[in-house]
This record gives sequence, structure tokens and C-alpha cells, in this order.
Amino acid sequence: MISQQAKDSIERIFSHSARTRLPIDSGDACDITPLDAQHANEALAAHIVVLTISSISFRFLLVLHFDDDQTTRDYYLRESEDRSLPEALMEVGNLCCGAINQKMVEFFPDLGMSTPYQLSGACVPYLTELKPDYLVAFRISIGANVQLGATLCVCASSPVDFVAQINEAEESTGELELF
Amino acid sequence: MVDQYVIAAAVAGSVAGALAAMLAHRWWHGKRAVVQQTTALDSQNRALAQAEERHAAEIRQHEQQARELHALVETLRDDVAEQSVSAEEARAALNALQVQKDEWLQQAKRLSTEAGRLRHLSATFERWHEQMISLMAQNHDMHSKNNELSSIVRHVLIVSLNASIEAARAGAAGRGFSIVASEVRTLAARSQELSKSYHDSLNRNDLITTATFQDIQAGGKMIAASLASVESLAGQIQSRLEQATT
Repeated sequence: MISQQAKDSIERIFSHSARTRLPIDSGDACDITPLDAQHANEALAAHIVVLTISSISFRFLLVLHFDDDQTTRDYYLRESEDRSLPEALMEVGNLCCGAINQKMVEFFPDLGMSTPYQLSGACVPYLTELKPDYLVAFRISIGANVQLGATLCVCASSPVDFVAQINEAEESTGELELF
Repeated sequence: MVDQYVIAAAVAGSVAGALAAMLAHRWWHGKRAVVQQTTALDSQNRALAQAEERHAAEIRQHEQQARELHALVETLRDDVAEQSVSAEEARAALNALQVQKDEWLQQAKRLSTEAGRLRHLSATFERWHEQMISLMAQNHDMHSKNNELSSIVRHVLIVSLNASIEAARAGAAGRGFSIVASEVRTLAARSQELSKSYHDSLNRNDLITTATFQDIQAGGKMIAASLASVESLAGQIQSRLEQATT
């Protein structure tokens, strides 16, 4: 129901959004590695943040995996002591999903995005209960040693086919700023 | 006497001659005048005839022009009648258009009002949001209780194991107690499995509840955005129709 070029487009949009929104500083490295299909519905960390983009013909779930460890807290909280790591990750996830929504609205004019919600990583295996047409997971390394995970889950009620290209100049903005 | 007669005759002759001459002169003058008058009359008659011919030609020309003018007037009258009918039809069409435009204006106003009213659906989505948070809080509470139950079950399992060990130490006297301890351990193990299954069910419930609610919430925002777009378009149509009316 979801064409291969649509799946590729979704991955391109996600990768671009993750690279531009997940790092705190635009100069921080952000490596995204796709995982095997068998890991697509596995928990990649103890906690997850879930966001949904809904359209008439499909719904897209962005699942951001994270561990509440010192490394991740140091990176995402830094000097701000007035919020928890889940709150910080919900905000970052919201920005990332917002960027995905912004790109996808070019192809699907009727879109809406939910607010983020935090759940246990143990919920991830139940993504299959939603009967997804497309389920893929990524390992994300940010900066020196922050490890996150991401799962994309798309459930379609009618055929989805589109081609999204990412502007390479925009894609490489982060790298250019390193020089 | 004769002289007298002669003189008288001469005088008479002279008088007669003079008279005759005078008469002749007068006749000649009279004839000349008659000729002149006749000539003048002929001339006037010719001039009159020419004038009459001219007038007749002019009259014919005028009559021709009058006929042409009459025909033109008839044509113009027909044109005016046709134009009048066309103008009447155009007026009727304009009135119909005006009525239609008024109807469209009313419909645009109604559409705009309806779209504006439907935007308040966001309050419904907010209510669902609150209920979802309440539901998730309840799930969280059930997670806590299940964890507590799991902890108790683990404790019971340890206690039953200890009881089995103590019963074994007691030997034959503890055989009955060993059977009870074993039963308790079996029950604790089943409770542990049940607790784990319940824990899994709660996780499944968390994910499906969250995904369902988020779909509703995002769908609600999609509908609200679409309605805002419809409201904006209806407002633009209404504005244009109002401008066209004024």
C-alpha cells in the first residue's frame, strides 16, 4: 500500500529532520544507521517519546528511544535544571516531528500533528498491533556518545505514493558550519 | 364763302387728320403696349412654367425624401422596439443575477459562520485530550499497583522457597508443611506469570491508547486547519460578493 519510493522519501525526510533537529548544536555530528527489519519492533532504549502525524490516508508515528542516563542528561539538559530529560526529549521530538510534518505537508495538504507523549520502551513491540504497512528503525548517534533510537511506523488506509527530494545544500548546512 | 368752306374743310380735314393721327398714334402705342405686355406675359408664363417645373421637381424630391425618412423612421422604430425588448430581457437577467448574487452572499455568510462555529470542535479535542491523560494516568496507576503486586509475589515466592527448605529440614514431620509450601510456591509462580502478562497488557494498552488518542488529536488538528481554510475562503468569497454588490 506504500510504494517503495514513498518509503524512501519518508526515510529521506526523517533523516534530514533528525540531523537538523535532534542535535542541540547544529555543528554536532548526527549519524543515522538503519537497523535490520527484525529490530524494527524492538525497544532500543528504556523510554520512548511518541508523536503522530495524521492525514486522511495514513498515520505516521515517530518513536524516539532514549535512556535516562548521565550522558544523555548532560547533552540535552546542560545548564537547564528546571526540566526533566523526558521533557527535553519530548521538546526535541516535537521539533523533529514538526520538521517532518512541514516537509510532508508539501505532498499531503491535510495533515495534523499530535502532542508528544512519553511511554516505556516496553511498549515498542506492540507497534505491530497497529498493523503498520511500513515499520523501520534507526540507531542515532549524536555528538560524541549520545545514543538514541528512532522507529518510524506508517499505517495506511489507502495507497501512498510520493517522491520527496531533500535540498542537498540545506542537508549539508550543518557540515558547512563546521568549517 | 367757299374759302370759308375750304378753310372749314381744311380745318375739318386737319382736325380729322389730327384726330386720325392721334387715334392712329394711340392705336399704335396701344398695340405696341399690347405686344410688349404679351411678350412680358409670355416671358412670365415661361418663367412661371419653369418655376412650376422646378417646384414640381422639388416637390417630387421632397416627397422622395419624405418617403425615405418615413422608411428610416419605421426602421428606427423597429430598432427601438427590438432594443427595448433586449433591454427588458437584460434587465430581467440582471435582476435574476442580483437575486442569485444575494443568495450566494447569504450562502457564503452561512458557510463562513458554519466554518467558524465548527472550529470550536477544538474544544472537543481538548476534552478528549484531558480524558486520554486521565486514562493514561489510570494506566500508570495500574502499572504501579501491578509492580507492587509483582513485588509481593516475588516475596511470596521467596517465602515459599524458604518454607520448602525449612520443611525439608524438619524431615518426616515437615512433609505436610512441604506440600503446602510447594502449593504456595506454585501459586506464587502462577501469580508472577499473571503479573507479567498483566504488565505486558498494560504496555500494549499504553501504546494502543496513546496511538489512538494521538491519531484523534492530530486528525482533529487536521480538521481544524481544513475548516480554517474553508472559513478563510468563504470569507474571501463573501467579501468579494459584498464589494460587487456595493
